[in-house]
Amino acid sequence: MDCHDVREQLLDFQQGRLAPDRVTGLRRHLDGCAACAHADAVERELTQALERRTPQYPAPVALKRRLATSWPAPALPAQSGRGRPWLRLFLPAALATAALLLLVPSVRELVAPNSQGATVMVGEAVNDHVRMLQSQRPLEVESSGIHQVLPWFSGRLDFAPAIRFPGDAEFPLRGGAVGYFVDRKAAALVFGRRLHSISLFVFKADGLPWPTGKLEPAGRAEVYRTSARGFNVVLWRDGELGYALVSDVNAQDLMLLASKLSPPA
Amino acid sequence: MLGGEDRKQPWDLGPEALAYADTLYNLARYLTANDTDAEDLVQETYSRALGSARQFTPGTNLKAWLFRILRNTFISQYRRERGNPIVGGLDTVVPMPQAPGDIARARDEVELDRLRKVVAEEIERALMTLSEDARTVILLDLEGLSEVEVAEVMGCAVGTVKSRLSRARASLRSLLTDWR
Repeated sequence: MDCHDVREQLLDFQQGRLAPDRVTGLRRHLDGCAACAHADAVERELTQALERRTPQYPAPVALKRRLATSWPAPALPAQSGRGRPWLRLFLPAALATAALLLLVPSVRELVAPNSQGATVMVGEAVNDHVRMLQSQRPLEVESSGIHQVLPWFSGRLDFAPAIRFPGDAEFPLRGGAVGYFVDRKAAALVFGRRLHSISLFVFKADGLPWPTGKLEPAGRAEVYRTSARGFNVVLWRDGELGYALVSDVNAQDLMLLASKLSPPA
Repeated sequence: MLGGEDRKQPWDLGPEALAYADTLYNLARYLTANDTDAEDLVQETYSRALGSARQFTPGTNLKAWLFRILRNTFISQYRRERGNPIVGGLDTVVPMPQAPGDIARARDEVELDRLRKVVAEEIERALMTLSEDARTVILLDLEGLSEVEVAEVMGCAVGTVKSRLSRARASLRSLLTDWR
């Protein structure tokens, strides 16, 4: 196996698509060839940069709603030039189901917590955070204190978001808004950390695929900590409510805020 | 879930297909480079998907199928409307000349260091500099599609996907490490 062969197969090698006998030969070559070893390192670094730092554009909530509730039915017959009686009969039911499932891959994931379900919750938290960042007017209520923000949610949510941390000099509370988390309304609060924003989503916890393994303590809460698309995410539930913290600040800072939000009793 | 043996009717496709709205919008946004066109493209994609739902083969990758519809829609509508059938970009890389050992090692370190420090804005800018095909193949690979699935989306041979991906990554690497 020469340098040319190795360079051609580096990506397959890194993505586990190479046959075992070729892997052995390629590894042997990398051990003895500094130039190819460097090419291998560069490819890995590029993959890592792309996976972690490529900006993601989640679909706007308005588009999702439009897709689910105002599917462009008149455009459909034009696809074949023929009418589709079945579509007119069943489209309302399909759309009702679609509206329910719009933000989650499957009903099964809602009722059966598993790692894929946790992925759904983490993905949703990151998407919601990105939407907050991209929104022209992310905060519906600007904060001069928690006692101004919490009452604002009254009447806008069907639950009272229990927030035990009013913000401080390290994590100033910037404001709040009403958002969605998966299929339900959520209180969205934004804390600052130096120049970074941290989103906190508070929502009803029941019926969501909460992760069950790998929990760690933060204050009195047992939290699930992970990262996705370059953002750190911390999830926990406290009684009937669920909490999701998302930000690009480091995991320690996020855990510190989680412990402030869930202080020991 | 899709893929059940008894799924025969096209309207079954809707709910699971809609769960890919974020993923499809992301590619649409990178292809069209603006929010309004991306929204239109995704909406048209879903319209076409529902219209041709009977052509979807249960058990195959629904996400890849939707990506193919999105890309075809983009090619047939948006490129034509722009009067720009082939939007060009950097797909080729000028090979670096061989340098003496010490210089080459130093350059290698700089290249690695630069990649470690590259930020999101630079990645997006570099992606948008690539041709649409190169950008698409990079993003589909990031989505975890196999080479076979990417080939189906792009309507080309698997070998072509391999070489396009390799060239696209080389261009990207060059763009990301050359900016100062």
